[in-house]
Amino acid sequence: MSLTLQNVSKRFGGVVASDSVNITVPKGKITGLIGPNGAGKTTIVNMITGMLAVSDGQISVGGRDITHASADEICRARLARTFQNIRILPDNSVLENILIGFHRHEKCSTLAAILGLPSARRESEKIGKMAEELLQRFGMSALADFPAGGLSYGHQRKLEMMRALASEPEFMLLDEPIAGMNDVESDSLAELFQELASTGMGILLIEHNIRFVSKLCEYIYVLDGGRLIAEGAPTVVLRDPEVMAAYIGGEHA
Amino acid sequence: MTNILLGYQPLFDLFLLHLGMAYSQWLVLRAGVFSLATAGLAAVGAYTGGILVVSLGFPAPVALLLAGLAGGIVALGLSIPLARLRGVYQAIATVAFIQIVLSLNIYASGLTGGPQGLNGIPKTVGTVTLLIAGILTVYLMYTITNSRLGRAFDAIRQNEAVAASLGVSIVRHQTLAFIISGALAGVYGALEAFHSYALAPSQFGFTFLISILAYVVLGGRNTIIGPIVGTAILLLLPEIARPLAEARMLVYGLLLILVINYLPHGIADTLIERARARRLSARLAKSDSVATTATRN
Repeated sequence: MSLTLQNVSKRFGGVVASDSVNITVPKGKITGLIGPNGAGKTTIVNMITGMLAVSDGQISVGGRDITHASADEICRARLARTFQNIRILPDNSVLENILIGFHRHEKCSTLAAILGLPSARRESEKIGKMAEELLQRFGMSALADFPAGGLSYGHQRKLEMMRALASEPEFMLLDEPIAGMNDVESDSLAELFQELASTGMGILLIEHNIRFVSKLCEYIYVLDGGRLIAEGAPTVVLRDPEVMAAYIGGEHA
Repeated sequence: MTNILLGYQPLFDLFLLHLGMAYSQWLVLRAGVFSLATAGLAAVGAYTGGILVVSLGFPAPVALLLAGLAGGIVALGLSIPLARLRGVYQAIATVAFIQIVLSLNIYASGLTGGPQGLNGIPKTVGTVTLLIAGILTVYLMYTITNSRLGRAFDAIRQNEAVAASLGVSIVRHQTLAFIISGALAGVYGALEAFHSYALAPSQFGFTFLISILAYVVLGGRNTIIGPIVGTAILLLLPEIARPLAEARMLVYGLLLILVINYLPHGIADTLIERARARRLSARLAKSDSVATTATRN
């Protein structure tokens, strides 16, 4: 079972943001997607998660076609994401930010929710406990009641990850998860990603930091100008002349 | 003492009626729908209830339920074009809706009494009924807030992309919020009809719209206490300072400008946030070791 992109293209008018991209993200592994600024990495993530319409090609999860599914349907297909520019809910507390991540699991009827029937209350209690477990796992229990808008940068990134994990995804797209973090923080996240992959989750890691990517990924894709220019094991790919040119700029570098 | 309290009873009734309308406005704003339709939907409910009782001889409780239903159904119809609009365009469309309701009211004078208003409604609603309605309304707002619906509304209001990425269907939830808001406006419109002997079309016009919006903005948009505080302050103010009563709309306008500038989250919400911040920093100071290491990580 895997997340697969087949010949996926995105055109904005005459601009080709993605050009026939083929990517496979297997379960239980961390797959890397790298490329210089403006290479079209976030465009790919937005197409997979239903936030941008796909111009051409097909995206599927475990054989199920999700090319034209809406963002909320894709979440129910057990695919979660984090955002490159952090998007927490600033009016809510840390705990409430995580609770909304459990939305997919909440099954009580609308009427039960409106009237506050026991079934709805039990469900709210249940996800409250699950959210506290997540907070503990990330070492942020002490911050549960804090307004999310006041958290430090690193904590906001972790909060986004907890929220995405709450939906219990089988595949997770991490859009530059360690941007702005120090080495200690990024090392602890690296451990977490490996742990998640070992439990069977398929992760697509979009990153600038080549050292971080080559440490975690067995297989990476390199994107430049919307086109895949290389793929394979990091040690091989990063020695590719075209990849070096794309990163360092110019063939003579 | 009793006499003084009795003197304030009409004001208390008015407070309860307007509080229900304020919650109707509060709920849609909470779900990120910038609708001002509450006044129009309240008119639909008031006239539905009034006509059912006066012309068709329905018992008041049945008419009340049907008025709520009418408000909900009209809101459902209105939500379809509204789902294609965002922000200020929703506000403009809903103000247009209110104008349509008021015009239809004048044209259908055979049914509604037109400019003459609808007269001879038996007064069946008193303070006790309004108090029960008020308690029920606050209870419903509380349960909605603490359910998956309230959480979904909060997420949609703050960031639609995040909400969708977590599996929240935006159209479905905003429509639901709008229907509940419409039903609430319908019920309170009918309560207002049964609380007075007559209805006038101008009652649900621009002044009413601004008052309701002012209650919510002044009190606070994100807590249940907000509309209670906002409605109480704005209704009591002209009573406390009698000379101001004449210039009620002027005072509302000035207060709104001040609050939006200096307390953008509203009076109640700002106070609650400050109390929470104090409590949290006190807790941090107490369990210093745990909390500071957590913040530093």
